[in-house]
Amino acid sequence: MNIGIILAGGTGSRMGNMDKPKQFIDIYGKPIIIYTLEVFDNHPEIDYIAVVCLQEYMDYMKILLRKYEINKVKWLIEGGATRQESVYNAIKFISKDLNDDDILVIHDSVRPLVSYKIISNNIFNAKEFGATDTVVPSSDTIIKSFDGVEIHEVPNRSELFIGQTPQSFKLGLIKKAHEAAIEKNKLNATDDCQLVLDLGHKVRLVMGEKLNFKITSFDDLLLLKAIIKLGKTEMI
Amino acid sequence: MLGKSFKIIEPKRFDLYIEDIHCKTDEAIIRIDYGAICKADLRYYLGARDKRTLGFKYPMSLLHEAVGTIVLNKTNKYKTGDKVVLIPNIIPNENDKCLNCVCENPQLGENYCPNAKFASSNSDGFGREYVNYPVTHLIKIPSNLEYRIAIFSELISVAIAAYRRIQLQGNETIAIWGDGILGYILCCVLQVIHKEGKIIAVGKHENKIKQFPADKHYLTGNGSIKSENIDVAYECVGGDSSGNAINESVDNIKVGGKIVLTGVAENYIGVNTRKILEKGIAIYGVTRSSVADFQKAIQLFRDEQFRLWISRLILDEIYIENIGDYYNAFEMELKNSKLGKYILHFNL
Repeated sequence: MNIGIILAGGTGSRMGNMDKPKQFIDIYGKPIIIYTLEVFDNHPEIDYIAVVCLQEYMDYMKILLRKYEINKVKWLIEGGATRQESVYNAIKFISKDLNDDDILVIHDSVRPLVSYKIISNNIFNAKEFGATDTVVPSSDTIIKSFDGVEIHEVPNRSELFIGQTPQSFKLGLIKKAHEAAIEKNKLNATDDCQLVLDLGHKVRLVMGEKLNFKITSFDDLLLLKAIIKLGKTEMI
Repeated sequence: MLGKSFKIIEPKRFDLYIEDIHCKTDEAIIRIDYGAICKADLRYYLGARDKRTLGFKYPMSLLHEAVGTIVLNKTNKYKTGDKVVLIPNIIPNENDKCLNCVCENPQLGENYCPNAKFASSNSDGFGREYVNYPVTHLIKIPSNLEYRIAIFSELISVAIAAYRRIQLQGNETIAIWGDGILGYILCCVLQVIHKEGKIIAVGKHENKIKQFPADKHYLTGNGSIKSENIDVAYECVGGDSSGNAINESVDNIKVGGKIVLTGVAENYIGVNTRKILEKGIAIYGVTRSSVADFQKAIQLFRDEQFRLWISRLILDEIYIENIGDYYNAFEMELKNSKLGKYILHFNL
């Protein structure tokens, strides 16, 4: 089975004064997380979905799932204090219903423009290689600075990629990676692939798309709105 | 759900649009897997229509020949994962009655409804990742039919619509003018459904016309065509050359014969009306096709020989993973002078 794990445990918002996590912000009549869930819900290779969200938003999430007829969500799981903890909560919660070879496609709820192709390529490569990370080549030069004042290094751009999500794994592998990290007291990883690499296991790259950007700021929100609004142009 | 679409916004310029696709209660959402480019699409791509027309058309998604997979279905008619052909011709219903009273006429039908919406003509076509579409205008592709061949259902349905436009006994001698893809498909269709009659193919290019599964082949201008006693002629040429084809068919058809026009000419063309009058020839126009024509098209694929003939039309498969691939597909189809089409394999 292939399981989509949608991470929606983020709190608050940096977008204006709204006291609402950004994944629940409404864009043209639909919350961002619903756009994301629709892609997974309508993807034929995804069997079930787990949504990881804050305890206080569980009921709201259930209402949204009903309202927008998202049918594949089998688990609603309470998020943790960190991304790593949220993912581990999900792994623990769903493990009893799954096998070690089942694929987990872990995705940020605030990347609503994830495509069908990216999900398919994640599943294909995770089955083949055990672990995948979605990336795009870096078109900007990345500058390394230890103090934010001076340049300390200009790494070769051709070797640099920007990490996106989904990150996809065989359940047995990602579970082992999380347990090993906890044993070593590594508790605040922002990226599951790091944990798999720490096990000495290779991670395969899957090409993402620039459009699969993460909504983290007001600028991103504006960009998403503009992108969707363009599509509303209709003939009279 | 959000999906990508490529829209032509000015000649030779596509833009990527992200659209929120809504599935109404009588609709399904289809992920487009294969598409094909037709001459009308190329005209929009090149901007080969008058400015006013283009002004009303752009921006618009092109392609009206497509097959896809059901990803969401609000009715019980289809299951998720079903492969379907999309019928590009949709009539606006008012209390389920045709507004122009042509739908029930077996020789006309909904494809002649002046209020009909036609994909990639007066509404968005299928050059998109996802399409929400009425389930009444989807036809399930049988599992034993090679999926991508079903892309030709639209052209086959047009050939079937051309056949039913006139009343035939089944043993008439039929001549097809035109060595393009529609002429070829009409020839294949006639060989299956008009078994008792002789089928003649007339064209300009010997290498193409010889590929037609016709009983007799002629190059245009051959004086022996007249000896065939042609009862019915189909003009499948289109463009400015269609005038020559019509006049040649007028010259060679029997007295009282019927000529069916299928090709689109942007400019006015001259035809020999004196001879049309002298011979008492009836001329019919055909355009597009109906749901029933599509159903018959899918049934025709049961014939193994027919499937083989149609499969020869696939020149190659072009993968469409981004807008650059889409441009490339249009450029390749523009340069195509072979008998056949490129199949666009969408993976957006």
